[in-house]
Amino acid sequence: MFDLTNLSVHFGPATALREASLTIRPGDRLGIVGESGSGKSMLALCLMGMAPEAATLSGTLTIDGRDMAEATERDWQALRARRVAMIFQEPMAALNPLSRVGDTVMDPLRLHLGLSKQAARARALDLFAEVGIPDPAARLRQFPHELSGGQRQRVLIALALACDPDLLIADEPTTALDANVALRITDLLVRLSAERNMALLFISHDLAAVARATSDIAVMYGGDIVERGPTRAVLDSPAHPYTRGLLGARPSATSLPRDANGKRARLPTIPGTVPGMAELPKGCRFAGRCPVELPHCASERPALTKPGPDRSAICHVLSQEVSA
Amino acid sequence: MTTLVEVKSVSRHYRMPREHLLRAPEVLTAVNSASFTLNRGETLGIVGESGSGKSTLARMVMAFEAPDSGEIRFDGTDIHALGASDLRRMRQRFQMIFQDPFGSLDPRRKIGWSIAEPLRVTHAETPAHKTAEALEQVGLRAADADKYPHEFSGGQRQRIAIARAIVTRPDLIVADEAVSALDVSVQAQILNLLMDLQDELGLAMLFISHDLAVVASICDQLLVMQHGKTLEYGAATQILNAPAHDYTKSLLTAAGA
Repeated sequence: MFDLTNLSVHFGPATALREASLTIRPGDRLGIVGESGSGKSMLALCLMGMAPEAATLSGTLTIDGRDMAEATERDWQALRARRVAMIFQEPMAALNPLSRVGDTVMDPLRLHLGLSKQAARARALDLFAEVGIPDPAARLRQFPHELSGGQRQRVLIALALACDPDLLIADEPTTALDANVALRITDLLVRLSAERNMALLFISHDLAAVARATSDIAVMYGGDIVERGPTRAVLDSPAHPYTRGLLGARPSATSLPRDANGKRARLPTIPGTVPGMAELPKGCRFAGRCPVELPHCASERPALTKPGPDRSAICHVLSQEVSA
Repeated sequence: MTTLVEVKSVSRHYRMPREHLLRAPEVLTAVNSASFTLNRGETLGIVGESGSGKSTLARMVMAFEAPDSGEIRFDGTDIHALGASDLRRMRQRFQMIFQDPFGSLDPRRKIGWSIAEPLRVTHAETPAHKTAEALEQVGLRAADADKYPHEFSGGQRQRIAIARAIVTRPDLIVADEAVSALDVSVQAQILNLLMDLQDELGLAMLFISHDLAVVASICDQLLVMQHGKTLEYGAATQILNAPAHDYTKSLLTAAGA
């Protein structure tokens, strides 16, 4: 249904996204994991037809077999909300503070589906109930500041669901929330995806949330998708050195990092910092920080290798191991 | 081990906005009779969700606000009984790191100026070598003192905030969500830096976070708060291995355990 092939995004000499390929089918739950500057939000914006004006794009994006290369902003407007909708990170910034949340949710229903005011209100009530907002009739009349962070996030989900999209993109939907609330929002997204056979693209740096929400995962670094595969398999046995570094750096609440004397142990880290978009190495983007780097890693682009069933990664070291 | 901070039955209430003209406004108990002791060189983690009172407790330890009842002793002195100038001098010995380093560094000042700020309270002239030393201790270069905050990445800015906190050679650092805004790999670097500095300088630390996994990696003692109440307090290993409270268990689930 959504098909990206070799999609690249450049800002002058800088590369934000390099030859990303991805297929999203109805009901898929795909997680995109990466740190700041990895290109994960850029990928989402491309799927929404909202790449920044200054960006140069190449590659193909098809939606239901339709090539979007020639699509105008007007064409995209017809697709947004109905085919693809997005939940943004900051629920307070994404809601109009001067508008009652009910009106905010009713707007796209009237605009895109042409519903009457009464029909839109009835639909908004159903949506609020579906996303687990208690006492929906009273909530419709409230303003964003009167709601808690978790309730605001539910309103945004209701808003995104309003026109029954085929793909819901959630960009860091749990980052601003308390741990327990984040858990409930994650479970809600999974339930909605299953009930509506709606694809879910779950973008997050929170590995615990991604593990819970998704069945497949793409790990991004420096504008590349460096590893792909079933979520459980990738998290249990990461193949790419970056994925391994990322998972190692995440502290765990159960396996306490203490040495033999009960002293605190240091966390494993990835040395160095992410280079700027224009300073990334031409070959493997992770070169310069990689613990198992080969001499040609920085200059030559690694090919796709298959470290396991349904899995792929781009890494010179892995392709040597696989061919050996 | 000698005691550095002693918090005894500290409570803090806030009056809520009035709902009815003729009725008394409701009172919110932000912190309800919290007690703990923190030894020199040790780390106490305070975990809880927003509204749990963890930041209010930290602010009272920093003497940014006073408790309604109870007592907070720093190295034996009741800090809330001190006069303004004595408190200002005492403050050199406890410093704070905030969540958002961009918000806590003046964008129009070179970072050397911001780092030396706590020193200016007692020094008319701020010795440049102290700023340089603090910068090097957090893994930056002495020459970085002449740069502005926007020239640094998020992780580097948090290092600058840490340099400012250690420049007075304090006994205690209060870190409120100090690594929450950082990417996972940067977070690990900053947590390691804090542990290294603690070992090197003998710092005690009050480490506040909503993320149990982060707290577990750095803390000796743990205090779990919810709605202003202390649910659990004790050795971190013990609480994490055998949580007594359902709320702690749910936090463990959320941390991906």
